[in-house]
Amino acid sequence: MARLELEGVSRYFFGVQAVKDLSMVVPPGRVTGLIGPNGAGKTTVVNLITGLLKLSAGRIALDDRDIGELQPHQVARLGVSRTFQNIRLLKEASVVDNIVVGFHVSDSTSFLAQALGLPSVRKTRAALAGRVHELLAQFAMETYAECLAGELSYGHQRRVEIMRALALGPNVLLLDEPVAGMNDVEAHELGAIFRALAERGLAVLVIEHNMELVMSLCDEVYVLESGELICQGIPEQVRSDPRVVEAYLGAEVC
Amino acid sequence: MIAQQLLNALVVGSVYALFALGFTLIFGVHHILNLAHGAVFMWGAFVGLYAVTLLHAPFIVALLCASLAAGLLSVALDWVAFRPLRSRGAPEFSAIISSIGAGLILMNIAQRVSQTRVMRYPFGTFPIEVYTIFGLRVTLLQLVIIGSVAIIVAALFAYIFYTGFGRQIRAVAINERTASLLGVSPSRVYFQTFFISGALAGAAGVLIGIAFNSVSFLMGEPYMLRAFVVIVLGGLGSIGGAVIAGLLLGLIQTMTIAYVSTALSDAVLFSLLFLILLVRPTGFFGTLRMERRVTRE
Amino acid sequence: MTGALAGYQSVLNLVLLNCGLALSQFVVLRAGVFSVATPALASIGAYVAGIAALSFGAGAAAGLLAATAAGTLTGLLLSLPLARLRGVFQAIATVALVQIVLSLALYATDLTGGANGLNGIPKLIGTPELLLSVAATVYLLGSLGRSRIGHAFDAIRQDETVAVTLGISAVAHQALAFALSGAIAGLTGGLMAYHNRSVIPEEFGFSMLVTVLAYVVLGGRRSVLGPLAGATILTLLPELARPLADNRLIVHGAVLMLVIAYLPHGIVDTLQIARRRRMTAAARAQPVAKEAANGPA
Repeated sequence: MARLELEGVSRYFFGVQAVKDLSMVVPPGRVTGLIGPNGAGKTTVVNLITGLLKLSAGRIALDDRDIGELQPHQVARLGVSRTFQNIRLLKEASVVDNIVVGFHVSDSTSFLAQALGLPSVRKTRAALAGRVHELLAQFAMETYAECLAGELSYGHQRRVEIMRALALGPNVLLLDEPVAGMNDVEAHELGAIFRALAERGLAVLVIEHNMELVMSLCDEVYVLESGELICQGIPEQVRSDPRVVEAYLGAEVC
Repeated sequence: MIAQQLLNALVVGSVYALFALGFTLIFGVHHILNLAHGAVFMWGAFVGLYAVTLLHAPFIVALLCASLAAGLLSVALDWVAFRPLRSRGAPEFSAIISSIGAGLILMNIAQRVSQTRVMRYPFGTFPIEVYTIFGLRVTLLQLVIIGSVAIIVAALFAYIFYTGFGRQIRAVAINERTASLLGVSPSRVYFQTFFISGALAGAAGVLIGIAFNSVSFLMGEPYMLRAFVVIVLGGLGSIGGAVIAGLLLGLIQTMTIAYVSTALSDAVLFSLLFLILLVRPTGFFGTLRMERRVTRE
Repeated sequence: MTGALAGYQSVLNLVLLNCGLALSQFVVLRAGVFSVATPALASIGAYVAGIAALSFGAGAAAGLLAATAAGTLTGLLLSLPLARLRGVFQAIATVALVQIVLSLALYATDLTGGANGLNGIPKLIGTPELLLSVAATVYLLGSLGRSRIGHAFDAIRQDETVAVTLGISAVAHQALAFALSGAIAGLTGGLMAYHNRSVIPEEFGFSMLVTVLAYVVLGGRRSVLGPLAGATILTLLPELARPLADNRLIVHGAVLMLVIAYLPHGIVDTLQIARRRRMTAAARAQPVAKEAANGPA
């Protein structure tokens, strides 16, 4: 259980403001939504949290620990996991191998034990295989275990990415448009999984354009426009906020 | 004495600059590290020599022939070694490997053609005249080398920075896709940059061949390796940087040979390269963006 | 009869030594490091082993241990500065290293014998030792490849951003790859010294760099069988036909160009990917087949 907190976070690119003075909380046990028009700075927020971008100002904390200066792999080791808006799988590797990479931090198969053929290896390998299989089952992807990740359909690739993010054993899960390109049935299947994860104690942040999903799934929604927070609240409040409606040109929200 | 050394440094350095200019041009515009550049240079030297020995061409004609031939060879190289990779969107690693392969093939052919011999210009190809200027002994050959390099570099700068074609090349250097959306034909730009790059290498090959009166199929490699020092020192892809760095390299090498040791000159040069990469990998004159480690940035 | 057998054996030994070099190059490429330092590291191993035997009367085991240790240490030291660089810059820095080691070997005559190299080294190893060391290296690298470290290498090579966001330290893993590459190259260099009974400085230059790179490009960068296949094929080709031996550079050059353009994963990895692709097609076909079997209910 961990609580992610952003305080006055800003980021400039060559003087242009991508994110301005953003404060938000992603609490454990909840699904938090982050929405906004294209180019509003949503992915920048995820990159700032995961250590891919330097903060221009502000503070990011995981529980009470400041993580705003840590390198990406250190942030990941504290249990902050993410998916990418433009799916980034290891395309030359199988689905299983993609997931196994996610287990890197917790995998205890030591090279020495492996080289010496110690019996412990078989045990840890079996345990690892079991956890991979659990994930595959949870996402109904068992059939595709040995397939090349790069050759799967769009929706299946998204699932593999989410499984890989979960393999890290995260406390905080950041999902950057996790259901883009899926139909409503698939989207709601995944939505149910996200809800279940939150109920297990994860702090889940979802960036999504699928408003219907956001409104039905999220406990709290933040709305960004041009890098600034324009609205925050429970879905019903956000849905009726005139600034939000204006930002979306009244199109999808109503 | 030191003035005489400085003159030597200027001669050597200007040829380094000429060689490295073509190398850095291709990298700057197309982000291709063309490791066959040394082989193109070597073939320029071959053509220049054969023009003199077989066709009895005057030196200036030989120089032009060699530039033209090396330019065309370089264009052919682009078609055979790089274009197939471009159409597949292969990573930079692939282009490096492919150019190494092309360089090996060109070297092997040159080896067969020259029967592995070191070839020399016939006596009297270039009149040996020595002038004394401000107490310095200057040969006609040295003047011609410095003069030709100065003219070629000036022409290159004029072409790239003051003509419409040059503007197209610079547009592609900044972003090939955007440039082609704006109506620049990338294939014409590739043709030009590879031709110019090859022609510069060919001219450098002839000048080096006559300066040391030695032409062999192995002559490309040491220049190729030294060009690394030039382009890194000058900033990968920076044309102005390559000229300054070429001259600087000539200076460092001449001074090392004169005052430290001939045997150590390579060790000094490449240690310098290694150090620059550690301290300031983008070089001292260029402003090229470089591929970075994934860290907070 | 024995003559023919001895001929086969010397070819086999050559294949095994080249496999060692290829494995050293393979480790770094697998981890996404574009280092080409193998010749420099092997050269250090060869000199350490040679000097250990000549000056200190070391036996094979002690000498090879020293060579491996020297290679590992150099690789590790190298990784400190180089792990900060990427791509082309790593390649250029390691090319510089190869040149530095070569020119220092030529310069430090008292220690290395200069251009003559080291001669009269006792013949301390034969085919069994070579087989044993290659087998041990393959076994270790194979185990490593199946452990979490191998998965981390693959992730960093394919997408460093993904790797780091999964908690993998790219810098630490690439440092490990450098150290392993150094260990294997050092060992192989030592084996070369004790097998050839001499160390020739020029052998460890740019042409070895290119050849070793060709082994791995041809064979593949992911599976440990790749470098073995690449080294075996390219070593045997010239032995099979005289014209191939006379034009070794053309063979290597053409292999590099063709493989990188049309078989960019190399032979072994392409076969493995093709197998997976068939399984993918089968898996995607399966649900459809099920629906068809159930029919309209």
